[in-house]
Amino acid sequence: MFERTQNLRLSVIKQMELRASKYPDVISLAQGVPSFDTPECIKRRVERALRNGVVAKYSLSPGLPELRELIEVSMARENIFYDWEKEILVTAGSIEGITATILAITSPRDEIIIPEPTYTSYREVITLAGCVPIFVPLNEEKGWAFEISKYEEAITPKTKAIFYCNPNNPTGTVYSKEQLLELAELAKKHDLYLISDEVYKDFIFEKKERIFSLAEIPELRKRLIRLFSFSKSYAMTGWRIGYLSADEKVLNEILKVHDSLVTCAPVVSQYAAMGALEMASADVKEFNRQYLERRDLICRRLDRLNKVFSYVKPTSAYYVFPKIKTEEINMAGEEGKKGPSWQFALWLLDKIQVAVVPGVAFGPNGENHIRISFGRSKNDINRAFDRMDKLFL
Amino acid sequence: MKTFLKHFLKYYLKCATKIVLARHRPKIVAISGSINKSFFKDAIKLDLEKKGLTVRANEKSFNTEIGLPLAILNLPSGYNSYKNWWPAVTGALVEIFRSNFPQVLILELGVSAPGDMKFLISIARPDIAVITDITQRYLESFSDMDNLVNEYELLAQKTKREGVVILNADNNRVRAISKKLKGRRVIFFGKSKESDWQIIAAAKNERGQRITVEHKREIFKYETNRFGEHHAYAYAASRAVGKAIE
Repeated sequence: MFERTQNLRLSVIKQMELRASKYPDVISLAQGVPSFDTPECIKRRVERALRNGVVAKYSLSPGLPELRELIEVSMARENIFYDWEKEILVTAGSIEGITATILAITSPRDEIIIPEPTYTSYREVITLAGCVPIFVPLNEEKGWAFEISKYEEAITPKTKAIFYCNPNNPTGTVYSKEQLLELAELAKKHDLYLISDEVYKDFIFEKKERIFSLAEIPELRKRLIRLFSFSKSYAMTGWRIGYLSADEKVLNEILKVHDSLVTCAPVVSQYAAMGALEMASADVKEFNRQYLERRDLICRRLDRLNKVFSYVKPTSAYYVFPKIKTEEINMAGEEGKKGPSWQFALWLLDKIQVAVVPGVAFGPNGENHIRISFGRSKNDINRAFDRMDKLFL
Repeated sequence: MKTFLKHFLKYYLKCATKIVLARHRPKIVAISGSINKSFFKDAIKLDLEKKGLTVRANEKSFNTEIGLPLAILNLPSGYNSYKNWWPAVTGALVEIFRSNFPQVLILELGVSAPGDMKFLISIARPDIAVITDITQRYLESFSDMDNLVNEYELLAQKTKREGVVILNADNNRVRAISKKLKGRRVIFFGKSKESDWQIIAAAKNERGQRITVEHKREIFKYETNRFGEHHAYAYAASRAVGKAIE
């Protein structure tokens, strides 16, 4: 019974949210949800589609042609070239794209290498597909960078893919072009797929125009699957819409799974995605500006608590992943909980009603850390840190 | 209030645009059709710039009643903010008095409801019209396919008498438009043998594709980093436009 699901876990983030909801005065910096509403121009685009009566029917399984065409145009601006007719697939959020990809490219018991700490749901999807996640630690000392030798060591005859998130959730860091190219060399050498989840690509806190993607390298087309979601960049988490791109042969296989899973992405959300690509670039810039302010605020507040936390400054996404200096903290009453980061997160929730995510949720290397989201408003960030100041200073 | 402002903007920008076009008389290349307009626009722009012409093309998809004047005048959209429309309103006045202007305008014309094309052509009447393809996309606002096709026919018919209409030979609906264009110069592009600019091959390789097009027994080869057959069509059409402008 339940063979396929017995090794799955309910996301730790959801578990924390569930616990947090029992505290009436809680401030949650746990969930990775933007504080913004979907931009008005996107809503107007959807209203027009609703009025025209075009959202009630299925779209073609790969997505509306006009949306895929817009996606090709938008990707070309980032020096990434794919054919909208045969190489772009609109998905029900990136997680559906990830699921379809893994089911398409693997066989049961294949291994997939994941740099960690990273997004919690990767493990669950890989397990659901009957595959084995192989965690390879990132190097915190080097700003959460890859250590290529460790990947080489982790590769076995069963390894099928390396699956990374860039910019990375929960660390908010970006892999350098050099690191990614080294990873690509490794994939070529061992004939592996690369799955690149780039849902935070539009958040750039450093002075550069865009974040490098391996999808810019045409020679990697046959082994690279790139995923994007509208959830974060356009404050559209509830719309469940994203896309992936891959070489035609690979995409055809992913399309079969996508068709079995969802038939097509929600059509109303596909129109929302069109509105996003057509008109919302100014909103993305504004979100980026506000996240940068919040990043600076949260770093200033963490600096004041340097006896309790050390951290790598995030350069993208809206998370910071501080290390807990546990020896400095007396967490009386919380001993024996599921590990130091769980213990700390529960203690914080109980003591001051501030919800964060225990770092172990993002892989074994995340232990002794917590993830704090600055997707929430400055006011929430300040209120949460005022409480922490009272507790720790 | 909002509707009033929209109408004001629509006619104010149209008026400013007509004054600018009357002053500078650029060659106007209009691109319309259900799909791939942006790729055709980029390919045509590239070809004309290689010929040393100064060219302006729609930014993004500024191809509707307000978007088109913005594209011609090279002004930003205010989207949904009253305040953000000010630069466009004042900028339109500045453009009227500006002395330099590009030699060629490449304009995507978008059609999503009956009458759209009539309004767009009333702003800028093309010297060259390119129709990329006609599919059922955008059909929702039209009673049937014939009504949608009427919009594109109007573009072809209203192209200047001495101008050129460039049509996709591989799409029945587009090809049929030529039958309604008495006395106008029509050029076809596509894979079919009737094409004046015939796509012989679009061979995909690791870095893109190699496109081969034949025109009057002359072979043109083009390497592109773009993938997809639509880029071969865009290339063939761009050569046709380039030749027509010569």
